Amino acid sequence: MTHERFEILAQAYGGDIARWPAPERDAAALLMAAEPEFSRIVLSDAGELDAALELWAPMSVSPALRQTAIASAPGMRRRWGGPWSWFMGAGVGAGLAAACAAGLVVGVMLSDVTQPAASDDTVSASLSNYEDLSGLVTGEGA
Amino acid sequence: MSDPDEELLTRVGEGDPAAVRALVARKLPRLLALAGRMLGDPAEAEDVAQETFVRAWKQARDWRPGVARFDTWLHRVALNLCYDRLRRRREVVTDTPPERADEGPAPDRGLEAKDVGDRVGAAMQRLPDRQREAIVLCHYQELSNIEAAALMGISVEALESLLGRGRRALRAALSDMVGG
Repeated sequence: MTHERFEILAQAYGGDIARWPAPERDAAALLMAAEPEFSRIVLSDAGELDAALELWAPMSVSPALRQTAIASAPGMRRRWGGPWSWFMGAGVGAGLAAACAAGLVVGVMLSDVTQPAASDDTVSASLSNYEDLSGLVTGEGA
Repeated sequence: MSDPDEELLTRVGEGDPAAVRALVARKLPRLLALAGRMLGDPAEAEDVAQETFVRAWKQARDWRPGVARFDTWLHRVALNLCYDRLRRRREVVTDTPPERADEGPAPDRGLEAKDVGDRVGAAMQRLPDRQREAIVLCHYQELSNIEAAALMGISVEALESLLGRGRRALRAALSDMVGG
């Protein structure tokens, strides 16, 4: 292997010859044995960049992404949540439906009561009752 | 050509839930790392990883061993999705490409591992797409030069040229940390 080829490989694949193309490793090892100082300088130079590259950490997989990937497989949509997931889902759905119905009733009542009041009061009254309804959702869905 | 994923794929094709989970555990971190490093955007990278799996499940039933390694095929799909997004970015941002400033080390503190990692990531995002792709495939995804060149549709010599130019650009961008 020529010096030039050794340098090209180090510049392309880095300072660890284990990462170089397999067919070139033996020739590289021979050059390293014959010219240790030259090869040490070239590899150490490339190795500094390798070390910096290693510090760029990959993204970590969130549990949500893992579950989404699993659930996207045919037949896995209901399995990942366990045998009770359907019932849980139905419970949450029923809770949301009940909360919507309750909200509608309260909203109609409030609009009757606050009809003559100023618009700012109507808004604040609606908001305070909306917060109260959040407890209903949790209670029904649990 | 032996494919380490072949047995798992067969079980996925038969509808084995344990095999589905095992394939996700084996491939999702790899795909997310690939997309994250190609795009530099966590949300887009998650979308690409997710979309790649949607296509993988369709492919699993009809997978024919011996044509290509499944891992290589997954990389091809994910890279295509990444390039779709990179192309869209170029169409949206017409004449002012997003420039991520390399701020260098903070003056009041030394360079810690995360600082270096962030600067490497920023420098990688500034590379031309093909140089970044070559480095991501060879250095980070640890594909062989033949696999990486085949994925990119270029010769091994062209791959080595992209790798060399990319690494030289990175050295220049990180010259205060990487000597030479």
